[in-house]
Amino acid sequence: MSRILRQHIIDITGMVILTLTLLLLSFSFRFQLPFALSPSLLNLNTIFLSILIEALPFVLIGVLIAGVIQVFVTEEHIRRWIPNNKYLAIIMSCVIGALFPACECGIVPIIRRLVGKGVPIYAAIGFMLTGPLINPIVIASTYMAFGNDVKIAGLRMGLGFIIAMIVAFVVSLIFKGKQLKASVPSAQSHSHPIKEPFSTRFWNTLIHSIDEFFDMGKYLIIGAFLAAFVQTYLPAKTLLEAGSGTVSSIAIMMGMAYVLSLCSEADAFIGASFSSFFPTSAILSFLILGPMMDLKNTLMMLSVFRGRFVIGILAVIIATVFITMMLVDGLL
Amino acid sequence: MKFHVQHAVRAFILLAFSVMLFKLHFTDEITKFINPKYQGLSQSASVLFLILFFIQITRIWSAKRHTHHYHCHHEDHNHDCSHDHGDSPFNSKKFMAYAIIIFPLVTGFLLPAKVLDASIVDKKGGMAILSNQNKEKKEINSVQEDLTIEHNRITDPKIISEKEFEQFKRTLEQSSTIKMNDDVYSIFYGEISTDPEKFKGREIELKGFVYKEDEFNQDQLVISRFSITHCVADAGIIGFLSEFKEAASIEENTWIKAKGTLDISTFNGTELPIIKITKWKKIKQPKQPYLYPIDVKVY
Repeated sequence: MSRILRQHIIDITGMVILTLTLLLLSFSFRFQLPFALSPSLLNLNTIFLSILIEALPFVLIGVLIAGVIQVFVTEEHIRRWIPNNKYLAIIMSCVIGALFPACECGIVPIIRRLVGKGVPIYAAIGFMLTGPLINPIVIASTYMAFGNDVKIAGLRMGLGFIIAMIVAFVVSLIFKGKQLKASVPSAQSHSHPIKEPFSTRFWNTLIHSIDEFFDMGKYLIIGAFLAAFVQTYLPAKTLLEAGSGTVSSIAIMMGMAYVLSLCSEADAFIGASFSSFFPTSAILSFLILGPMMDLKNTLMMLSVFRGRFVIGILAVIIATVFITMMLVDGLL
Repeated sequence: MKFHVQHAVRAFILLAFSVMLFKLHFTDEITKFINPKYQGLSQSASVLFLILFFIQITRIWSAKRHTHHYHCHHEDHNHDCSHDHGDSPFNSKKFMAYAIIIFPLVTGFLLPAKVLDASIVDKKGGMAILSNQNKEKKEINSVQEDLTIEHNRITDPKIISEKEFEQFKRTLEQSSTIKMNDDVYSIFYGEISTDPEKFKGREIELKGFVYKEDEFNQDQLVISRFSITHCVADAGIIGFLSEFKEAASIEENTWIKAKGTLDISTFNGTELPIIKITKWKKIKQPKQPYLYPIDVKVY
């Protein structure tokens, strides 16, 4: 008896968990709240879940790619691929990011793996900034949201690319080392034995992805919740009334981009709805800062990098976007 | 044989995410969260979670057969994966982490999905945004409406060609009564707010929920809709200022179907179309309360 149990223990455990979940499911169909929740709390919950549901596929793709990098890419590969010259490395990382159709939810686990494997921190940041900002879907949605006008879409990509390079360069001056969290010891010289059969490595990839998901998941959830909270309780109207001059309108649109934490593929439509209130430079700052850094992303980065590094890079990005937009405003 | 509680919890969480997404799709509640265009993506997420669950259950019991799962070679406790494998001892910090991950599962399973209401219109800027939409479109002086073509088939998201789009516009110009169906709602909305002069005096028929602001007159309200690009977090607002005697008696968030004549009015100094309602009735909230923009193929 106990031998049979032993042999089938995994199947049995699986069945137990399955049963539990199905019980929960059937319970949820019949469940009625014993007390009435206020409508605004339900709004909050709906927006929170919708951000999460929207982000989950991209996060899963992100953790799977991270798993592949962890198992299949060795540090030697990285050494061969990344140019030794710092400037070349920055340009290359920004170009790869622009070609790589990433989304800001999925990119953090990827860059964490890359940095772990020895990609210099500035190159990883360049990749992180252009990845979600410059890709075909974002270009198309921006083009359409602004009345099939190439100008905004073009400026968004062009300026975004330049800003990403500047930020990556500044990072290369200020920050050294991997900047990964101290609590998670980083690799020294270990790489996975290449000789492992493919099936084992594939399996390991998936195992890594699961662990990565649990690492990242909690920060994603907190971020989504905060963004939903802001949307439910912070009135945009007071912000709109506060914005007059260029400085304040750029600052307001940047603040909105940061706290709303919209997906880069959808933010163009929201940006467009503000275009009658604010100058183009402010709208652009919204469109460029959002994909690079937002509340949800900051929290996910905090799960990976040192707090000081995250704050530092946030400050660098905000300052660069702000200054660039002030200059652009003079020219437009 | 050793039982790993944390791995069991993780397996349960993965399965629960899969089942939650499945449930939302199964009951069609998913349309209250995301644009149906992206349903496929979240369905694949559900399948992925299920696959990950099947992988995760093999880690719950450690036996000799499965030693190769300890892929990270934890020699000298200096493993290189820099993430937690769920093997380290359980403490309060970890408890918090799991509590956070379980939180959306609890609210997702137990709380009903709510359709966004007038309070969100207010948070999104309300009339300030609505009354400026036409101005903005004039400035751009182009076909902003292109992208906000709506359609009402949940299961069959489609991309319409420019030709069909032109056809919609022709219908708008020729029909005696402008019928604001979900398919055409925002094309028409865009056309009308870009050039209210052109449509002055035309009859219009539409439905939407009631939104009010303090500055409105007693007989004014907005008949509004939300347009969802991706998920409800990026909902945009669309709405016509309307005028009729009984307006004061109708509460916010009531869904109404109305018929009236288009006219032009000013609100806070901005010119905008207004509907003088002649006939109206309360209706139940439609099954599909949101509008979903679809893309016009641009050649």
